[in-house]
Amino acid sequence: MYSSIVRIQNTFGFFTTVAFCIAALIAASDFFSPRAPTVNSLKTTSVQVVRGRPHYYSTKKEEYAIIKFSLDADLSDLFTWNTKQVFVYVTAEWPEINGGNTTNKAVIWDSIITSPSADHLTNLGPASKKKLIKSAKGKSIDKSRGKLSIKNQRPKYQITHPTGKVASKDGVQLKLHYNVQPWVGPLTWNQDKHIGLWKALKNGVSKSFKFPAVKAKDIPRA
Amino acid sequence: MLSSLGNPRQAAAQILNFGLVLSTAFMMWKGLSIVTDSPSPIVVVLSGSMEPAFQRGDLLFLWNRNWLQDTDVGEVVVYNVKDKEIPIVHRVVRKFGDGPEAKLLTKGDNNGADDTDLYAKGQDYLVRKDIIGSVVGFIPFVGYVTIMLSEHPWLKTVMLGIMGLVVVLQRE
Amino acid sequence: MDQVLDRVREGAEGQIDFEGQKLAELIVNISLSLVGAIAFIVGYLQQDIKLALYIALGGSAMVFVAVVPAWPFFKRNPVKWLPVGGGAQVQAANLVVDEKAM
Repeated sequence: MYSSIVRIQNTFGFFTTVAFCIAALIAASDFFSPRAPTVNSLKTTSVQVVRGRPHYYSTKKEEYAIIKFSLDADLSDLFTWNTKQVFVYVTAEWPEINGGNTTNKAVIWDSIITSPSADHLTNLGPASKKKLIKSAKGKSIDKSRGKLSIKNQRPKYQITHPTGKVASKDGVQLKLHYNVQPWVGPLTWNQDKHIGLWKALKNGVSKSFKFPAVKAKDIPRA
Repeated sequence: MLSSLGNPRQAAAQILNFGLVLSTAFMMWKGLSIVTDSPSPIVVVLSGSMEPAFQRGDLLFLWNRNWLQDTDVGEVVVYNVKDKEIPIVHRVVRKFGDGPEAKLLTKGDNNGADDTDLYAKGQDYLVRKDIIGSVVGFIPFVGYVTIMLSEHPWLKTVMLGIMGLVVVLQRE
Repeated sequence: MDQVLDRVREGAEGQIDFEGQKLAELIVNISLSLVGAIAFIVGYLQQDIKLALYIALGGSAMVFVAVVPAWPFFKRNPVKWLPVGGGAQVQAANLVVDEKAM
C-alpha cells in the first residue's frame, strides 16, 4: 500500500471480492421469497388446421395448426428485486403414436414481461416504451404485471411438424411455462414439484383436444 | 526494482509464480469443462438477439448434461452451426421427438423469425449434439472486457504492456 | 531540471508512511465491507436492485477517493532516519533488516 498504484490495485481487488459476495447474496435472496404461481384457466377457444407453404418460394405444402386460446394466470410472485424479466410461453404438446410414442412440443405464443428495472432495455417502439416506463413510475418492482388475463388470443406462431402433418392428431394439450431471468444468479423455470418455498405451477395444463381435419380451401360459406 | 532480475533465483521464482497463475486458470477452466461436459462452460454474449434477457457482455454459465431431463422447449441453449465459428445463444421453441435424435428449432427472443436461416444449408433443425450447453447461470456485464478487447485490438497490446510492467515492478 | 522531474514522479507515485499504509488498508477493508452490506440491506428492504447498485458504486468510488491519493493524514509518521555518519549512536540490536520494506 506504499504507492498510489498499489493502493488502486489492492482496493480494486477487494472491491471485486465484495461485489462478488453481494452478487451471490442477491442471487441467494431469491430462494427466500416464496413463489406460488397459479393458472386460473387455460383453454383453447378455436382450433384450425390449414394448408400452406413454409415461405413464399417454397413448393412444399405443410399443414399448420392455428390455436386460439384464453389464459388467466397469476405469476406476480415471480417479480422480486432480482427479476429482470419473466418469459411466459404457451406450448402445444401432442404425442406421435406412429413415431414410437414420442412427444412433440411447439411454442404457440410467448411474451416478455420486464421488471421496471429492465424497462429501458425492452425492444419496443419509443411510444410504447415510454408508456411502459411511465406505468411503473416510482416503483422498483411491479407485481401487477404478473397478472395475466388474455382472451381469445391469436397464436404468434402457427405450428407444424417435420413431416408436414398435424391434422387429426389427438391428445393435444396446451401448457403454460415461464422462465425467470434474474439480474444475477441462476435462471429458473416453472416446476412440477415443490422445492423449498417455491411451489409447483398450479393448473398449467389445458384439457386435451384434437387437431381438426384440414380446413378445405375456397369453399364458399353457406 | 529491476534489480530483482539480476538475482537469478528471484527471477526464476517470479517466472514460476507467473506460470502458476496461468496454469491454475487453465486448470480451473478445463475442470469446469469436465464437470459441465461442455467445451466452453462460460460464454460471453456477443449479440443482442436475446434482449432484454441478455445484453452484449453478459456472462453465461452453461450446463451440458441431461441428468434430470432432456434438453427441452423453453431452455436457452448455445449451439454451433457447421462451418460457422461463432456459437449462437437462442431459445428452443420447438421439439419433435425424444432423446438424442429429437429435432430442435431455436429462436432469439428479440428476433422476429426462427433460426432456420441461420442453420447450415439444407439443415432445418438442430439435434442434441449441435448444442454445447444450456444456460443455467447469469452474471451481467462482466464479460464486456473481452468484447472491448476483440473490437479494439490495440487494447490488447496496452493490456499486455501493463501486465508485463506490473510483473517486472512487483516485489516478491 | 532533474530535481523537478523527481518531484513530479514522487507526487505521482503517492508514497505514504508505514502507519499510513496500515491505516489505508484498514479503511479499505472496513469501509468497502460496510458499503457492500449497506447496499445489500437497503436494496433488499426497498426491493430495488438499482438503488443497491448505485449505493455500491457510489460508496466504492468514495473509498477510492479516500485511499488512493497520498492525503496528509497518511503521512503523519514519517520514518526518522538517523543522521548521515552518526555512527556513534547506532546499536546493532536496533537494526531491522527487511528487504521487502526497503
